[in-house]
Amino acid sequence: MNDMRLDHLAPGAEAIVLAIDGEGPSVRRLMDLGFVPGTPVRFIRSAPLGDPLELVVRGMHLSLRRSEAARVHVEPV
Amino acid sequence: MSNLSERLRPRRSALSVVSGPARPAARPRIVAILGNPNSGKSTLFNRLTGLRAKVGNYAGVTVEKKVGRCTLPSGERVETLDLPGTYSLHPGSPDERIVRDVLFGLSDDTPSPDLVVFVVDATQLDRQLFLALQLISVGRPVVLALNMIDAARAEGIVINEEALEHRLGVPVVSISASKGIGIGNLRRMMERDVAPSTRSFRQRPAAVQRVLDSLSARLPRRELLTDSGRADLAAAILLDDGEDDAIARFVPPDVQDDLRILRRRLDQTWPEWRTDDATAIYDAIEDIMRVAVTRGGEGRNERSRARIDRVLTHRIFGPLIFILLMGAIFQSVFEWAAPAMDLIDSTVSLFGGWVGAHLPAGPVRSLVVDGIIAGVGATLIFVPQIAVLFFFLSVMEGSGYMARAAFIMDRVMGRVGLSGRAFIPLLSSFACAIPGIMATRTIDNRRDRIATIMIAPFMSCSARLPVYAVLIGAFIPRHRIGFLTLPGITLFSMYFLGIVAAIAVAGVLKRTALRGGRPLYVMELPPYRMPVWRSVLLTVRERSWLFLQKAGTVILAVSVILWFLASYPGAGQKGHDLQQRIVAAEQSGNPAQASELRNELAGLNLRDSFAGYGGRALEPLIKPLGFDWRIGIALITSFAAREVMVSTMATVFNLGEDDDGLLSLRDKLRLATDESGERAYTALTAISLMVFFVLACQCMSTVAVVRRETNSWRWPLLMMVSMNLLAWIASFAVFQGGRFLGMG
Repeated sequence: MNDMRLDHLAPGAEAIVLAIDGEGPSVRRLMDLGFVPGTPVRFIRSAPLGDPLELVVRGMHLSLRRSEAARVHVEPV
Repeated sequence: MSNLSERLRPRRSALSVVSGPARPAARPRIVAILGNPNSGKSTLFNRLTGLRAKVGNYAGVTVEKKVGRCTLPSGERVETLDLPGTYSLHPGSPDERIVRDVLFGLSDDTPSPDLVVFVVDATQLDRQLFLALQLISVGRPVVLALNMIDAARAEGIVINEEALEHRLGVPVVSISASKGIGIGNLRRMMERDVAPSTRSFRQRPAAVQRVLDSLSARLPRRELLTDSGRADLAAAILLDDGEDDAIARFVPPDVQDDLRILRRRLDQTWPEWRTDDATAIYDAIEDIMRVAVTRGGEGRNERSRARIDRVLTHRIFGPLIFILLMGAIFQSVFEWAAPAMDLIDSTVSLFGGWVGAHLPAGPVRSLVVDGIIAGVGATLIFVPQIAVLFFFLSVMEGSGYMARAAFIMDRVMGRVGLSGRAFIPLLSSFACAIPGIMATRTIDNRRDRIATIMIAPFMSCSARLPVYAVLIGAFIPRHRIGFLTLPGITLFSMYFLGIVAAIAVAGVLKRTALRGGRPLYVMELPPYRMPVWRSVLLTVRERSWLFLQKAGTVILAVSVILWFLASYPGAGQKGHDLQQRIVAAEQSGNPAQASELRNELAGLNLRDSFAGYGGRALEPLIKPLGFDWRIGIALITSFAAREVMVSTMATVFNLGEDDDGLLSLRDKLRLATDESGERAYTALTAISLMVFFVLACQCMSTVAVVRRETNSWRWPLLMMVSMNLLAWIASFAVFQGGRFLGMG
């Protein structure tokens, strides 16, 4: 399995969510917002200063800080 | 588009409609409007309630509560509640916590709604159904409003309403809140007694369900909840992070103690119990979407949004456009508001003069003109800036640009521990901290928001400018240094000092009073849309009105108190003698002398007032900063507004408040002497005083608005104490340090 972190995707690349590191409210929050294992995510771009990132999950564009995106394991497609 | 409304004609809902439990007849039904942020929820609320919404706070928190009245076709009037935009019933913010508490019936001041109109953006149905399914599972009666149906159709999204109704078990109605399509259908739907859905979207593992059932059996009964709602409440209690008062009050003490044991048992038997729900609900959504929705490839919106974003969030153009736009807004708050502010200013003083001419001289006239009318003027004067700023803010919010601005600025503001959304409130605080502090409402994290409120008054506002101008004009020589002049550098330093202080204080606050785990930062970047102008104007009106209502009363009261302090007890016999000399001078046809004597009387009265005594009482405290009792008086009166410092000093020195008076104020300040005949003020005093003005919290309007925005006295009091302490220490360091170096 090709395990990678969400913040390492190339702009425009798509991947499937595998798991989220950490525990408690912030994992549940990310899952509530759609980062459920098996869901496709697309990396759109990073902000002009490199952080945060713009991602699309289930048709919703989200901005997530790099440090938080690094907790999401993905498999590129 | 023309036949769209026809296609949206009323359709009989396939669902049975039963009457719910009887309500006390006295209370009107409560209908809550709920949805994700950016679902068009507030536009719908405005549509349904018209112009008359009441805005307050939920008890004990800073979350804003909006209630309006909506008249249904039958003539029934229902109370309509605009719940905060929410992504999930597992709360990620104080706003979402309120929503959860209200829906479960845990809120003290807000009864659970009799019906929830759940608003979704039909182009984002997939994601937004998440909260809908959570809500339906709780067992409240729900009507699903598919908003922006016109945009969805244009994008080739076809939603089968019957299938959706069947799957969800709730009535569905297609609307466009901004265009007013389908609102009649929705109103008719709101009239009915809708039964709670009986559908269930997820099966909890038996081990989890057993724990939830045993917990819910020990909780106080909630009539309005279904069985699944009770289990959801038990789950919500177990999942709560302990920051919640409403839950703590609701759960009996003996059960409270067992919560930790129950959590541990779940962690052992079913480790995924905390996140199970999300997986199950999204599985259910995928199933529903397959049956009820067909979409025709990537929509137009997605392509045009990508085109716009390529420019607005571009590595170079993005920040450039942002800076230009901010410059334009900043300039407008300054410039567009100026004529209106001047108009208010001159109208208020004309009115004061007119009233003064019709009242007999004496304490009543003085109270009405210098206390009350001046106080009303001091409040009204802020409205133009508030209106202009909120116009831009709601256009930026409504168009979707606000989220991009935060996206661009997050990295910069993150360095000082703030969110990208703090930038705009802080920038507008350079014009005035009042609208700036009110603009912090766009920051969803409570700690970030309070930190931003606490540092906003450090930005040098336009009321400080006259003070800087007089002091720099009087004491800072016009030396050239390269292409700069010393006065210019001094002025810049004052602005810069405020920014440095703000960064430092933000850093301290985030490590002390506002410490806490760095919250998960997730922000939606909504699609670009045309702002709904009606909503923009409503926002402008609402914010201006709220300010007048809530902060205005405090400002008025304080300005009457300040008037009293500056007018009593007054100069007594000496004043009486002067008064007679004024009359004599007027009668002998010598108006110049009369006006000079009048200035002298005003100065005498102020010096012999409570504020005058206060200034002298302050002197030992401010002497080490280089200030004498005359500056002490001005520090007291400038609590009304910082620029009052200038006119107070003019009065203290027996000068009129006209332009001549202000010009000669510079000379007076330069030449003023103390008791021993030495020069009272030097360039060093001026710098020390300016530093004091940069850092001190001397503005009653700011205090009043912080009280309103934080819904407590704790933060405004902390602000006053800490800013004034900081100002004292800094001015002390400047003055004593300068003296040590042989300046002054």
